[in-house]
Amino acid sequence: MGTITQSKRQLAWVFDLNKCIGCQTCSVACKVLWTQDEGTEHQWWMTVNTQPGAGTPKNYESMGGGYRDGKATLGKLPSPEEFGGGWDYNYDEVLRGGKGRDAHLEKVAGSKTWGPNWDEDEGAGEFPNAYFFYLPRLCNHCTVPGCVEACPNDALYKDPENGLVLRNEDLCKGAQMCARACPYKKIYFNPSLGISQQCIGCFPRIEQGVAPACVRQCPGRAAWIGFLDDEYGPVSKLVNKWKVAMPLHAEWGTKPNVFYVPPLSPAPLNPDGSFNENAERIPQSYLESLFGSDVSGAVDTLKAEMEKRRRGEASELMDILVMYKWEEALGPFTRDPAEIVWMSPANGGS
Amino acid sequence: MTWGSHSVDCYPGGCPFRVYSKDGKILREEQGGKLPVIEPGVPDMNPMGCQKGASWCHIHYSPDRVTQPLKRAGERGEGKWQPVSWDQAFTEIADAMLDAMVEDGPESIINLMTPEPGAGPARQFTNALGTPTTDGNSEFQDFSPGFYITWGKFNPVSSMDDWFLAELTLIWHANPVYTNIHWYHYVAESRYNGGEVVTIAPDYSPSAIHADYHVPVRIGTDAALALSMCKVIIDAGLYNRKFVQEQTDLGLLIRTDNSRFLRGSDVAEGDRDDQFFWMDDRSKVLTPAPRATLAMGDIDPALEGTLTVTLKDGSKVECIPAFARLREKLKDYEPEEAAKVCEIHPDAIRKLARKVATRRTKIFIGWNSGKYYHGDLYERAMTLLLGLTGNWGKKGTGTRSWAISALDGGSFMRQKGRLGQDAAREWVTNLAKARRMLTGDDPTLTMEMVTYRAAQMAAELGGLGRMIPPAFLWYYQYGYKERWNNPDNNDPSMKRTFDEYLNEAIEKGWWDSGLAKKYREVRPRVLFEAGGNMLRRQRGGQKLLLDKLWPDLKMIVSVDFRMNTTGMYSDFILPAAQHYEKIGNSMPSVHHLNFVLIDKAVDPPPGVLNDYDIGIGLVRKIEQRAAEREMLQFADKNGTMHDLKGITDKMTYDGELLDEDRRWDEAIRDDAAYGVLPPDSTLEVARQKGTIRWTGWGLVGHGLGQASTIKPDEVHNPFRWHTEDKLPYPTLTRRAQFYIDHEWFLEAGEEFPTHKEPPTHGGPARKFKMTSGHNRWSIHSMNMTNNIILNTHRGEPFMFLNDRDAKAKGIENGEWVRVVSDVGSMQITAKISPSVRPGQVIVYNGFEPYMHREWYSQADVEPGHVKWLGLVGGYGHLQYRPLQWQPVPADRAVYVDVEKIA
Repeated sequence: MGTITQSKRQLAWVFDLNKCIGCQTCSVACKVLWTQDEGTEHQWWMTVNTQPGAGTPKNYESMGGGYRDGKATLGKLPSPEEFGGGWDYNYDEVLRGGKGRDAHLEKVAGSKTWGPNWDEDEGAGEFPNAYFFYLPRLCNHCTVPGCVEACPNDALYKDPENGLVLRNEDLCKGAQMCARACPYKKIYFNPSLGISQQCIGCFPRIEQGVAPACVRQCPGRAAWIGFLDDEYGPVSKLVNKWKVAMPLHAEWGTKPNVFYVPPLSPAPLNPDGSFNENAERIPQSYLESLFGSDVSGAVDTLKAEMEKRRRGEASELMDILVMYKWEEALGPFTRDPAEIVWMSPANGGS
Repeated sequence: MTWGSHSVDCYPGGCPFRVYSKDGKILREEQGGKLPVIEPGVPDMNPMGCQKGASWCHIHYSPDRVTQPLKRAGERGEGKWQPVSWDQAFTEIADAMLDAMVEDGPESIINLMTPEPGAGPARQFTNALGTPTTDGNSEFQDFSPGFYITWGKFNPVSSMDDWFLAELTLIWHANPVYTNIHWYHYVAESRYNGGEVVTIAPDYSPSAIHADYHVPVRIGTDAALALSMCKVIIDAGLYNRKFVQEQTDLGLLIRTDNSRFLRGSDVAEGDRDDQFFWMDDRSKVLTPAPRATLAMGDIDPALEGTLTVTLKDGSKVECIPAFARLREKLKDYEPEEAAKVCEIHPDAIRKLARKVATRRTKIFIGWNSGKYYHGDLYERAMTLLLGLTGNWGKKGTGTRSWAISALDGGSFMRQKGRLGQDAAREWVTNLAKARRMLTGDDPTLTMEMVTYRAAQMAAELGGLGRMIPPAFLWYYQYGYKERWNNPDNNDPSMKRTFDEYLNEAIEKGWWDSGLAKKYREVRPRVLFEAGGNMLRRQRGGQKLLLDKLWPDLKMIVSVDFRMNTTGMYSDFILPAAQHYEKIGNSMPSVHHLNFVLIDKAVDPPPGVLNDYDIGIGLVRKIEQRAAEREMLQFADKNGTMHDLKGITDKMTYDGELLDEDRRWDEAIRDDAAYGVLPPDSTLEVARQKGTIRWTGWGLVGHGLGQASTIKPDEVHNPFRWHTEDKLPYPTLTRRAQFYIDHEWFLEAGEEFPTHKEPPTHGGPARKFKMTSGHNRWSIHSMNMTNNIILNTHRGEPFMFLNDRDAKAKGIENGEWVRVVSDVGSMQITAKISPSVRPGQVIVYNGFEPYMHREWYSQADVEPGHVKWLGLVGGYGHLQYRPLQWQPVPADRAVYVDVEKIA
């Protein structure tokens, strides 16, 4: 079993769920950059799902793993069907097959009943008080990564400089204990290489001073990256100072390093159709089930600071969330990737 | 590594990407992230770009890519192809065009305007042959008729960063979380800046989730909601009196005897028909409202009261200000009454009205409202709400639509006569002089009005490169006549049949410039589409087209980089270069005010040409084949003779423009000469910077319609020439016009905006209403088949259905169902959500018909008719102007049923 060696510093992500619009640009940016080779068709290291929902892999929240009562546990290994997706289509049959309307474009590979974003925009509740929001997920690069501990081949480790959870693919033998141990189920299996794979935090970019694709390419300006101990950076301010960003399912015990500013939602309607300004559309219990009991304090802080701004008063929190200059999102990784001669084709041409 | 972007109609587009390539292959692209802060205190635009742009390279290599000219080898639609040489393709197409010219005239060659700007150069034959191009604002129907009726232009929009400054944003008939991915952040950030966001939509739309309030208006009742808010505002005295008096027609006098505006020609012999009057509130004296300025001087135009006016024949007539008439009209819109119509609680209406009246308010609208039969009324009611509260012409206010500009370099390339910027400067000087001469006896015309008049005159004169409103072609030749006369598809308050109105409009000559009379007889023989997908897009459906239009077509050409459904039904598919294989520019949108370069990163595949070379290749072949027939000239409809001999050399300046770099450098340098771009702009500068911010509007009407000066360090907000400089609006009354006294509008009871139920198109007994909108995943059908994108949703066509409705019908999530209307049906899968309004089905459009079983898609259940009032002409600003006023099809709130498939 692997051992967790702590890092000097820890990188962390913050996603503002009030700015995330579920556009999948982060997912697609990651996909185009990292998982286009054979064996990675079904891999989406970055995903965005509609909550409430079954997510990806389907019903991952009930698959187990992580630490229960301080003890490492192995959960279920998600099946390819539960991950879903990985589709390819009968383009030639439809376009050049001479069958006319007898053939339509349909899936010829992958699951037909599930995909990484299958339940997009479905949500919960009852009209007109339905509700949903978007939740972007990637490897949490946990401080206590169950995957590292579970690996029988010592293939996984935390980068000592930045705390990213990385895999030595030469050591990985595809045992998939990591995937069982990870409670977030963000580890995929590559059947072509016979190894597991997951988000690498875009470390080749990080090393060059360039922010990860999911952050740098987020058009909603909903993502930040930075070191948790940089007390002047927006990540630390949102997590530690203002306490408006919290991890997903902290109770799973892995100390994840991806944090979320919880979603507000429109006032629900009373049965007579008038606005009910004193109630929440998204049940507090649901938010607590994801983000823990501190979430209501975070929501209160957000509302209070928004109200201050409406009165014309200054608010550091609002200024951070506005993100006047986009580079604020990138932490110390503000270098323009176009200035770099990349060695690996996956990062861009030379 | 090159700069790149996308030449698609994902308005506003304009996302600067870096494109990485190696060994002639594109590897990936990433947003540039170099856009500066424009106005201090307002966030920058980075990192502009969405998931579609971030995976565009993938469709360079998608299996639906076409890499050599294809000729149909089986039946149309069968999918059997024979690769042919470009020479063979050009020859057969040129011959078909020349046959059509000789046998049926240039009008028998139909060139469709499409929403891909980069495809334009493929259509150059229209300038050689004088064949018409159908007007895009009907083809893709992104017109906002109600804005046009009010302002005499539909397209004033702010730059995207202005949205940050709104204190209240009403997202209304829009779903920007799907459709404005690259700049929705300004809306989210305006909330953190102290603003509020309200989403008004029948469903709990994805754009409602980040709002402070969701207002679930009943489908098609938006005018009732808006007018009720207007009533609340007027009754509470919360309206902006000065703005109303100065900027709108509500101070003008209306005759109570015939409900017409009091006109100069009523009052004095020889006075103008378009002179209107105020009553000065202090002196109660009849006062001409100035036509040259909005400034009121010492006059305080009355908004209430009556005035007895002596007409030129000595008779007397009672007149009242339009505002007083409006107040009477609004008596039906007490919130308690409106609530019964729009199903919004009266308290919510009042609350919202007070917010609008007290804050800098924007309406974030898309191109949805104009697609409703009575969308003009919704939009007119919205503008009334903004007008009463002074909410345009200053930062953080206004509405939106689509607007482009800064195209002068390309637009005038041929007209300037020779290469070089001296020629450009001479051309523009002469053009300005010529336009100034158009003012004739009316020195009060603004340059904006003159420019519009010039566009109308160009349409009237016909000649080369003309645009036509396609409604008449559709009616007579595409098979719509029966549908448009079906009472279910029309406004029940119509007093005559559609056909009677149409004939009257044609007989009165309102649409002569649109070839309305011509298309009673002329059968289309050749159909040419570049960068479009008519069989997906055309409201009314492919079945109608395939039954009524297709059999008469001797030649159908699809120019595209991919095989779309229309391509499948074409005789030739001509493969165009993909976006990173040629030089181009992204949508020149007022939302970002940038020239955005799309550089050539790699060569196209060997069998592929860029759109310009396709266009010129076809022109050259036409010239050659015409010479072989000894057809050296042809006459246009005015009898003017045009040379075909030498046309290719003329178009290319003796071949100089065939060089891609040379051509683009010339256009960009010309843009600088025209003042649209900074003086030092060249292709090389664009290659260094990726984007160049505009410095002026040039002489394109779409730009001048902004009526506001571009400033280097400020957000752009339109209308400021009107609100600050008091220049008049390009409407009949020279003011924002809420009252239309055209005889048909009076007949319809639509002289003011009013609420009317949508027609029962699709079938009055059907239980569901189908709404629609652009999707998150593609730009129309372009990019829809990108496998990466397909994997981010269900990867197959789907529609949203309410969970209780699904349960009642026993429909499972993901199940294929059939959607049926009186005109057709389609098969699609069901996606079930409580966010959908009961009784509603939502089909986000763009699915390629061949993704559906049987290939029938959404358009096949849409009757696709136009509102009769769109036929109005001969009234001030209500006459045909390319890309502006014209009849447009309705496709929202279609009555359908949803059936399980046995």
